[in-house]
Amino acid sequence: MKQAHRTTKPSTAISMIFLIICSVIFIYPLFYLIFYSLKTNNEIFLTNPFGFPKDIQWVNYVNAIKAFDILAFFKNSIIVSMASIAGILFFVLPFSYSATRMIWRGKTVVTNYLTMGLFIPIQVIIIPLSILVRDMHLSNTYFALIVPYVAFNLAFSSMIMSTSFAGVPKEMEESAVIDGAGIFRTFVSIIIPLVKPAIATAVIFAFLNVWNEYTVASILISKNSVKTLPIGLANFVGVHSTDWGAMGACLVMASIPTIIIYLIFSEQVEKAMTIGGAVKG
Amino acid sequence: MNKVMGNKKVIALFTLPTVILFTVIVFYPIIQTVYRSFYDWNGLTAPIFNGIENYKNLFADDLFYESMRNGIIFAVILVVFQVGLATVFTMILMNPRIRGKRFFRSAFFIPAVLSVTVVCQLWGALYNPEWGLFNKIFEVLGLGYRQSWLSSLDFAIVAIAFVNVWQFVGYQLCIIYSSAKAIPEEYMEAARIDGASLWQLDRYILIPLLKDTYKMSFIFAITGGLNAFAHMNILTKGGPGTSTYTLTYMTFRNAFTVGKYGYGCTSAVLLVIQCLAVTILVNWLFRNKDGAVFEGGK
Repeated sequence: MKQAHRTTKPSTAISMIFLIICSVIFIYPLFYLIFYSLKTNNEIFLTNPFGFPKDIQWVNYVNAIKAFDILAFFKNSIIVSMASIAGILFFVLPFSYSATRMIWRGKTVVTNYLTMGLFIPIQVIIIPLSILVRDMHLSNTYFALIVPYVAFNLAFSSMIMSTSFAGVPKEMEESAVIDGAGIFRTFVSIIIPLVKPAIATAVIFAFLNVWNEYTVASILISKNSVKTLPIGLANFVGVHSTDWGAMGACLVMASIPTIIIYLIFSEQVEKAMTIGGAVKG
Repeated sequence: MNKVMGNKKVIALFTLPTVILFTVIVFYPIIQTVYRSFYDWNGLTAPIFNGIENYKNLFADDLFYESMRNGIIFAVILVVFQVGLATVFTMILMNPRIRGKRFFRSAFFIPAVLSVTVVCQLWGALYNPEWGLFNKIFEVLGLGYRQSWLSSLDFAIVAIAFVNVWQFVGYQLCIIYSSAKAIPEEYMEAARIDGASLWQLDRYILIPLLKDTYKMSFIFAITGGLNAFAHMNILTKGGPGTSTYTLTYMTFRNAFTVGKYGYGCTSAVLLVIQCLAVTILVNWLFRNKDGAVFEGGK
């Protein structure tokens, strides 16, 4: 063993250095973004393209808010995300409860049918969906996004919730029913509090998905007043190409919510994204 | 008890809304896509059935082959660099002497939680021919070399693929590393006692045991490449010319810009067939010839 230790040491050092160099290369673009969001055009283009801003331009953030519709896009993103998450829970909680705990025939078939949703790329759905949205007169409303977002997240969220509901001991319902509570009371005040951690995972995953969703929104939304951040910011380069610092400020602000969530819930986010990878196709 | 838990009305009330929503928004459109791929349809007037005409046109369409070629280039770059780098990082992080594992994993993972728009706008700036980071580096190094990354006919697709590599390396690392961590320590310990070097450990123990994980990683990377859309839509709009078209981009453009919905459905169907074929092929390549393989962390 001792000998093994001695022989692994140089390679460990090399690996460590390699890892540090790689992580610096990978993380640097993010700092580059933060730096240029705080620089003048002159500094970005000529005097100081790489480093820390010499004279910090907080005014870029003020300009970003004043000149661009960033707050309106933020508002839209918040409304769409919150409504989608509420919708997902409203549909998925009763569904997964009924599919795991209640007694009926055909629940395996129904569960498998929904699981199919995990493997369907958006490309197969989007053309008829866009017609559907138009025919339902939802074009350029929040519902044009909320309804598909809820539907796309059903499969994954119900998978997470079902696993969790299945782990609740049977006695929980039995004693509640004996005490005279109805099925709704039992479900809402006894069972749901027991699966809070799974709800948290489902909500975090849904939030990241919806907050960052670009493809569907870019097809279904064309009106500025309902654009979410990902599509609102996508058109920036052409329109506002003169003020790069303020544009950088917009990009930084748009990323803050997801980065904060990741830093707080790293393990959960990573776990949910790894299991849910198939959802994105 | 069974009476309460088997209450048909409650079951219907709990189950039907989800089933209906899923059917209308997800299932029905899939059927429609396949069905309309046999129609001449502009999305407005009544569709006209034209049999396999759309498929014939697609196979005669040069853009279809160019899009496929780009999809394959994208997929190959993702497999080599995304899965490749994730593997190298996993091997290093599996070394018990490496410190700060959490930090490294987060550093690689953060781009994956950013929106594709933010990532593309940032990389658009990095690739900017006049003042972008890459050309500035060449300038500082005193090299006369400049590259107009995103407006080069040959290079644009590669440049875009690397944006995706950067964004999702951490994601692949997360998949591979978490499975590697789930391998029972005894396997590694036994090999170490037998005097295996770190490299031998990786080559003969770690990677073979991660077969099922690699199956998943490869499928994600390849289908991700074939499906690529958002990056080119933001960075190049398929250009210069049609040099960064992928099959998804072609589908979207046919349907939503040109207004050929039927034809768009046809290329969407081919895209799905392609992805299915890749999934089956990867499953076949990674099949268990000898049977005994450790099931990666779930």
